[in-house]
Amino acid sequence: MVPQNEIMQIRIKFKKYGSLMYISHLDLARTMQRIIVRAGIDIWYTEGFNPQPKIVFAVPLPVGVESECEYMDIKLNSFMDCEEIRQRLNANFPDEMEVIDVYVPEQKLKNITYIDYELLISSKAIDDNSPEQIEKLFSNDIFVTKRSKGTEKQVNVKEYINSLKATLIGKDLQIRAVICSGSDKNLNPELLIEAIKTNTRILNGSPLEELYSIKRKEMLDLSLNIFR
Amino acid sequence: MQNNLSTILKSVSKPGRYTGGEYGQIIKDKNKIKCRFAFCFPDTYEIGMSNLGVRLLYGALNSEPEIWCERVYAPWTDMEEQMRAHNIPLWAHESKDCIKNFDIVAFSLQYELCYTTAINMIDLAGLPVFAKDRDDNMPIILGGGPCAYNAEPVADFFDIFSIGEGEEALVELSRLYIKMKSEGTYTKAYFLREASHIKGFYVPSLYDVEYNEDGTIARFEPKYEDVPKKVEKRIIADLNKSYFPTKPIMPFIEVVHDRIMLETFRGCIRGCRFCQAGMVFRPVREKNADTLNCQAREIFKNTGYTEISLTSLSISDYSCLHEATDKLLAWTNPNKINLSLPSLRADSFTRELMNKVSSIRQSGLTFAPEAGTQRLRDAINKNLYEKDLMNAVRLAFEGGKSQVKLYFMNGLPTETYEDIEGIAELAKRVVDEYYQIPSRPKKPVSVTVSVSCFVPKPHTPFQWEPQNSLEELCDKQKYLAEKIVDRKIRYNWHEAKVSRLEAVFSKGDRRLSKAIALAQQKGMRFDAWDEYFDYDKWMQVFEECGIDPSFYANRRMGYDEILPWDVIDIGVSKQFMVRESKRAYENQTTPNCKEKCSACGANKLGGDLTWCPKMK
Repeated sequence: MVPQNEIMQIRIKFKKYGSLMYISHLDLARTMQRIIVRAGIDIWYTEGFNPQPKIVFAVPLPVGVESECEYMDIKLNSFMDCEEIRQRLNANFPDEMEVIDVYVPEQKLKNITYIDYELLISSKAIDDNSPEQIEKLFSNDIFVTKRSKGTEKQVNVKEYINSLKATLIGKDLQIRAVICSGSDKNLNPELLIEAIKTNTRILNGSPLEELYSIKRKEMLDLSLNIFR
Repeated sequence: MQNNLSTILKSVSKPGRYTGGEYGQIIKDKNKIKCRFAFCFPDTYEIGMSNLGVRLLYGALNSEPEIWCERVYAPWTDMEEQMRAHNIPLWAHESKDCIKNFDIVAFSLQYELCYTTAINMIDLAGLPVFAKDRDDNMPIILGGGPCAYNAEPVADFFDIFSIGEGEEALVELSRLYIKMKSEGTYTKAYFLREASHIKGFYVPSLYDVEYNEDGTIARFEPKYEDVPKKVEKRIIADLNKSYFPTKPIMPFIEVVHDRIMLETFRGCIRGCRFCQAGMVFRPVREKNADTLNCQAREIFKNTGYTEISLTSLSISDYSCLHEATDKLLAWTNPNKINLSLPSLRADSFTRELMNKVSSIRQSGLTFAPEAGTQRLRDAINKNLYEKDLMNAVRLAFEGGKSQVKLYFMNGLPTETYEDIEGIAELAKRVVDEYYQIPSRPKKPVSVTVSVSCFVPKPHTPFQWEPQNSLEELCDKQKYLAEKIVDRKIRYNWHEAKVSRLEAVFSKGDRRLSKAIALAQQKGMRFDAWDEYFDYDKWMQVFEECGIDPSFYANRRMGYDEILPWDVIDIGVSKQFMVRESKRAYENQTTPNCKEKCSACGANKLGGDLTWCPKMK
């Protein structure tokens, strides 16, 4: 057994985008184990009956959401250069995933408090007034039904929003929203879309003509600094 | 189309089935490709991705620079609904291009109950389901896999069938296609005629079939002199030299067999009389331990999988098993890789073997005695003795196992109620054995008896046999339930209605095509899935088509009758089949290939034979 002090803690920041947004958190976790094994990274295994490579992910990414800022922590049995790890992982990642950074963690995963999301909506119902309408919508109390594991709950979306800005980019509507995403307080960004659907006319037509996408841009700590 | 696809994925279950983009998938430059090949699996992604044969052929075809082979799976019903609602035709996994414009569309036909799903996929691609309705501008639709050994029930839908092992044959076929296209001589009819001259290809439209008044076949002949009277199956001569995929695609979502699947050998020395695989994969050809070990290392390096499964029809018959496992364990153990050996025979289960397989996580073992009495086991040529089974379970119990699963079959030829009672008695003796072992685990034993229904299969000594009627099968299942009284024995049985439908299609002929087409039109698909299997609806379809399912499932065929699958030559002679069929009724066993050659005839196919005498 390797003494605790020789185990090297490593944090990996990566992107996951395109069709891979449909790969669930659990599937990603299993995929990642295999990526690390085939990359030849000397990862630390859990002890016990059924040893598993130890990987800890930050705030799980919901299905259907892309990300430029996923984090995972691993422990290594022996030293390996961060750049070497980055290259090895990228060589073994599927096409729509990419390592951005590898480093020794500076903060604890539980320090993640907010996530900066980008929502892009394209719809015929968008006009010059749409940004103002959206910003106004989210500055008031706004209740949305949250469904999970067969239960329904009314959630006031406003309570989870730190800041929200809407702008037109060409004909599309862009929303940047910093929302609570930590272990204490967490909101699925799909609920923002839900709020727009139920309270405006922007997303009410054919799903093939009206498109929206959600992307994580950065994870932030309590002071709104980029998480390290 | 990409955009539409992405949007509908939000509204279907398990969208990971449809995304593609897995590590290891093969993307090629369309402009340099002369043959776009779609390899379709008529079931879900999770099942299709677990099929080693499909992976093998995918890799073999893609090693050709002019061919791009892509994967296609059957969309689940919720996805199909979305596709039909939004006019999205069936696409290939890698490029997301519609397969309607591909050159060759191949289907892996693994079991009879996938037929409606396969036909539905052709329909979803926007192509006519009947071969005669597809013109020169549409892809050639090919069928292969185990069902191609009697392809007659789907003969009207497919242009051509690949018989036997396809890794070389499919490449040859594609080359013929490329050649004709580049010469400008291609027409569908000319291509199929030429393809019928390649060994291992069966073009059903080139044969005339006539029937007698009693429904049996009167004549089954090629329409032209240059078309072979019999289509001999293809085999790979030397598994040490042939292609094996070492950079498999890594699925994101959990699939049925999510591990390294390492093929050890093809064929089986045993010759169980009910088993189609044991006949059609003859002759036995083995991979040597070094090839196996090299391939395993390569795959591990390319995948990161932590489990290796050695696949075969009966792993303990692999002559290099000990050498191979020693070589593998030397590096799999330090890398925390599990080694599993499915398909173990009870008579070759040893302490040494048990210690080798790192089945720490498995609490149980599975054996397949198939029949409850020695008499019936002899009649089906299982060549397994009760003492061997008892010995195996004792070893397992002493090794800390407390669960044993036993597989049997109901409705085997010559079966009596005494044989059925024998299943209950055998299971009871396994329970008793457990409590006689002082070192047994400190928990109660659990013996699971799993009983399926016998389905007579083409190209087996039991091919002429009728299946028991539905009533007989159900009576037998009930009878066994009454005989199993011990609460430590769990009893599972297979739905007899499913087996009956399997029998109809297994032994069916061309006249069944219209029933399958009608079933697809009526919205039937995924017949192998409990939630979609609808026996009554099938019976209604048969009635509407004027087909009597009993004619196929419950009629004893004559030794001198022309069988629908006689056009296919698997290498094993009909004389051998007749001999074996007669021996079954005399309760006579036949030695396995290792003990003594019984002259089945498969050695005429050649190859690097492990046990057969070489033909001069």
